[in-house]
Amino acid sequence: MSLQKPLMRGLLAKRLRFHVPIAFALSMLAAVGWKYGVTEPRKQAYADFYKHYDAVKEFTGMREAGVFESVRPSGE
Amino acid sequence: MFRAVFRLSSTGARCLVRSKPSISAPLASRCYSHGRVETDEEFDARWVTYFSKPDIDAWELRKGMNTLIGYDLVPEAKIVDSALRACRRLNDMASAIRILEAVKDKAGPHKEIYPYLIQELQPTLSELGISTPEQLGMDKL
Repeated sequence: MSLQKPLMRGLLAKRLRFHVPIAFALSMLAAVGWKYGVTEPRKQAYADFYKHYDAVKEFTGMREAGVFESVRPSGE
Repeated sequence: MFRAVFRLSSTGARCLVRSKPSISAPLASRCYSHGRVETDEEFDARWVTYFSKPDIDAWELRKGMNTLIGYDLVPEAKIVDSALRACRRLNDMASAIRILEAVKDKAGPHKEIYPYLIQELQPTLSELGISTPEQLGMDKL
């Protein structure tokens, strides 16, 4: 039983033509997934925190707690 | 030696994959916007001629094989046959067996290619008295 001649040329090109678009698509999917799954929620969390942030009130609270060296609580 | 290099440098293995070549398109081709592309038969004939040089030297054999291995193809049986006969002229049994190992490696995951090549080369292997790596037990780690 003699063997048939198999395909011997362009084997890598064939493999790449199949796998590289898939690799590209999966990479894009990972990038888009990361952007909308991780970075956008993070940015939103920061935005929400600072939307109603009163810097003076926070500072006064810290000052009264006595954690600063440059300025003492208002009572002293 | 330089003549051989000049002949080899006219082949190209790199082709920008802008156009999608079909399976029947010649490989090892440069994507010229002008000039004709070499057919598979011309490619094979050129390599058979290269190894058929009666006074080929060891450097040319090694250079030829290394260049051939760089292409995206498994060499045709007739090219390997020509290379094995060049090894015979150079009394280089080691390179002959190495060539067989190399073409097996070039086939990669396509396990049907190497048995086919050995089948086609069997007359040459018997004539020249070349053992395959399998016969020598060299294919096992």
